[in-house]
Amino acid sequence: MPRFTALTLLLALALPAAAADYVQAPGSSLAFAGKYQGDVFTGRFPGFSTRLRFDPAQLANASLDVTIPIASATTGNGDYDDNMRGDAFFDAAKFPQAHYTATRFRSLGGNQYAADGTLSLHGVSKPVTLTFTWTPGSQPVLTGKATVKRLDFGIGGGDFADTSVIPDAVAVSTKVIFQPAK
Amino acid sequence: MTLKNPLDRWGAVSQAFHWVIVVLLVVMAYLGLTMTDLPTSAHKANVYALHKSIGLTILALVLLRLAWRLYAGRPLEVGGMPRWQHRIASLTHAALYLLLFAIPLSGWVINSTSGFPLRWFGLVHVPSIAPRDVALNHLAKETHEVLFWILVATAAVHAAAAIYHHLVQRDATLARMLPRGWLRLRSAEDVPHA
Repeated sequence: MPRFTALTLLLALALPAAAADYVQAPGSSLAFAGKYQGDVFTGRFPGFSTRLRFDPAQLANASLDVTIPIASATTGNGDYDDNMRGDAFFDAAKFPQAHYTATRFRSLGGNQYAADGTLSLHGVSKPVTLTFTWTPGSQPVLTGKATVKRLDFGIGGGDFADTSVIPDAVAVSTKVIFQPAK
Repeated sequence: MTLKNPLDRWGAVSQAFHWVIVVLLVVMAYLGLTMTDLPTSAHKANVYALHKSIGLTILALVLLRLAWRLYAGRPLEVGGMPRWQHRIASLTHAALYLLLFAIPLSGWVINSTSGFPLRWFGLVHVPSIAPRDVALNHLAKETHEVLFWILVATAAVHAAAAIYHHLVQRDATLARMLPRGWLRLRSAEDVPHA
């Protein structure tokens, strides 16, 4: 039964790969936190979407791809949001999407990993490392953190370059719930 | 030097409160009238922060000033003044105190309702006194501005009266709010008659 064997082989090869391909499930979040005049502000990127290929046993094959709409980024404060989306910061009209891709993954021991990826934001692409905890399951969960230096990406680089008013480092945190890709 | 207020003049502490607040008010008027037109920038944020910090300082100073006045008393009213002038002077002083409370408080409400950070000279976090609210924010902004112009008018009347009393009435109204000897009081007899 050569045909049957071939099909079994194909399925055997395809299934593990399919099992490690995920898309984002509802309940996921992508948030950021910075400081303005010494006070912490937080915000989120609603509508971001994530695709992930991840198998702890095959990190070499892992890949992460996140698309982040910018115009809907919100701190919950209208005054902040207008400025943040405007041309002094994100310039969402000109750069409506940010993108994060990673294909190099490292194990940090236990269920901790790091992805050395590239963030494309505001017309600039720079390396950004995402460290995360991987919780396996039928709906695995990635809980991660990254630090983005806003000035590396020209965010508020002109009239808001003063880091005593807005520090350079912005903390990004995410919790992505995954479901198998169909 | 007398710290408390003697019967015939204001003491050093009351004088210091008076004149420090005058200087701060001039700085605040300049900042407040120019800062809104600045281009959105870190500089603008810093100027606003300075305006807020000085405003909180004035609020604290006015509280201390009133407490001091209750503790240290006040000099007797300047003699030889018609009753209606005392009445107007008292009303003006009451209005000035009220405005010096209401203006910083309305500014504090503006900041609270907009949700902007508030740190006194970048050092001490100052809590909000109102929830974030767009309508209340607009109301507080208008109140802040209208009260400011009422303060300008009231302070002008107050200062004009002091100068009038010094130059025309030749009484101690202005001199006794200044260190002894800064203003020489010429009695009417010293002035050559026309």
